[in-house]
Amino acid sequence: MKGEHAGRRERAESPLVQRALDLTRGERTRHRPRLGAMSTSLLNELMTDHLDAGYAVAAQRRAEAGADTEVAAGAGRRRARAILAVGLLLVGFLLAVAFRGTLRQAPESERARQALVRDVETGSASGDALQARAEALAGQLVRERDAALSASETGDRVTGDLRRLEAAAAQRPMRGPGIQVIVGDATPRDELDASTGERVTVPADDNGRLRDRDLQSLVNALWAAGAEAVAVNGERLAPTTTIRAAGEAILVDLRPVQSPYTLDALGDPDRLLPRFAGSDAAGRYQSYTGLYGITFQARKAAELTLRAATGPELRYAQPSGPGGSAGPVPSRPSGSAGGSSPSAGGSPTAAGSPSAGGSRSPTATSPGAAP
Amino acid sequence: MIPALALAAGVALGLLVEPTVPLWLQPYLPIAVVAALDAVFGGIRARLDGIFDPKVFVVSFVSNVLVAALIVFLGDKLGVGGQLSTGVVVVLGIRIFGNAAAIRRHLFRA
Repeated sequence: MKGEHAGRRERAESPLVQRALDLTRGERTRHRPRLGAMSTSLLNELMTDHLDAGYAVAAQRRAEAGADTEVAAGAGRRRARAILAVGLLLVGFLLAVAFRGTLRQAPESERARQALVRDVETGSASGDALQARAEALAGQLVRERDAALSASETGDRVTGDLRRLEAAAAQRPMRGPGIQVIVGDATPRDELDASTGERVTVPADDNGRLRDRDLQSLVNALWAAGAEAVAVNGERLAPTTTIRAAGEAILVDLRPVQSPYTLDALGDPDRLLPRFAGSDAAGRYQSYTGLYGITFQARKAAELTLRAATGPELRYAQPSGPGGSAGPVPSRPSGSAGGSSPSAGGSPTAAGSPSAGGSRSPTATSPGAAP
Repeated sequence: MIPALALAAGVALGLLVEPTVPLWLQPYLPIAVVAALDAVFGGIRARLDGIFDPKVFVVSFVSNVLVAALIVFLGDKLGVGGQLSTGVVVVLGIRIFGNAAAIRRHLFRA
């Protein structure tokens, strides 16, 4: 029983063993396994067998059938040539099509990008032009209005009210003495590597990045110190202006501002600077300069010029009384805070931004401008 | 002479006709080109080895292109299209390099 089993196994194994021996011998001598022979090593075949095995087989077959007649060989050669021509035609076609495809694809994305860049450029250029025109027209409007109002005594009173309100609403450019606070993100700094002695750049600590709430607390400290008008990187802060974050960027009045941030505050420098420097926020950021490497300094400025903020866009509010006419004399001065010509469709800069440095600009000490 | 003419004609045809490649076929085009290059280099090497056979060349070219595209297509369906494309390119690239080395040995005896 046992012997029978063993004998059967012997019989079953011997052809396999024989085959394996054949294979290894064949590989040793021919280096390339015969077609149909399973390679012992896939990687070995990959690294050593680059030529399609079909060529060798075809050559062998040709050699075996070498005793062909001359005519058949001629016909075969013609047919082979035709096949080769068709194959190469296909190869060329494929290469050309792929070439065309890549060529067409690359400029397409590039073209789309260029078009987008051009759109952005023309859009911002026309935005700038419209902004400049709106400011010029608003200045003209204020001049005309003041001239018309100065004709009567009530008009003079209304003009005074208007100036006060516009200053409070940051709708007029302002200039005067004040203080300037400059804060900036921590910058990467060079340090000597202790082990190699080489100079390496240490990236800035992420805590050394100013956030929107940092600017908010500094601006609030400025207001609390008695600032009469504040601007961040030239963006004037109106009562409705927000300082907030959008992703990594800080937006002041929806416009992105970049580090370093310059906070201009109008007011008596001798009073403003000590009060600001004594505030909690200033002390905190002073300590952050050592802790996180931010930059922070405050100094007096003899003359600062702050431009007008963009006014709120009035979509639904209408001045009560005979508003909308060409004569900008609303019944109540408060109605003109956002724009003295409601018929203009609520243009955000409709009111009170005469050209910068105009003689009509009230100085920062105009009454009622303090928050 | 005739092969060169056929190749030139194929290129001219592709450039002149300007066939629009369907969108679903476009991811397989680069793979097909690599497969075609492999067949071409194999053919040149076989020619230099003296065992070139037009039928083998054409069949290997067509099947290379189809199989490479099919593998990538299957990979796309299975969610490993990118990896399989890399695999196909690596394998075909090794073959191309090996054949190119053999061609170089034939031409420059070095």
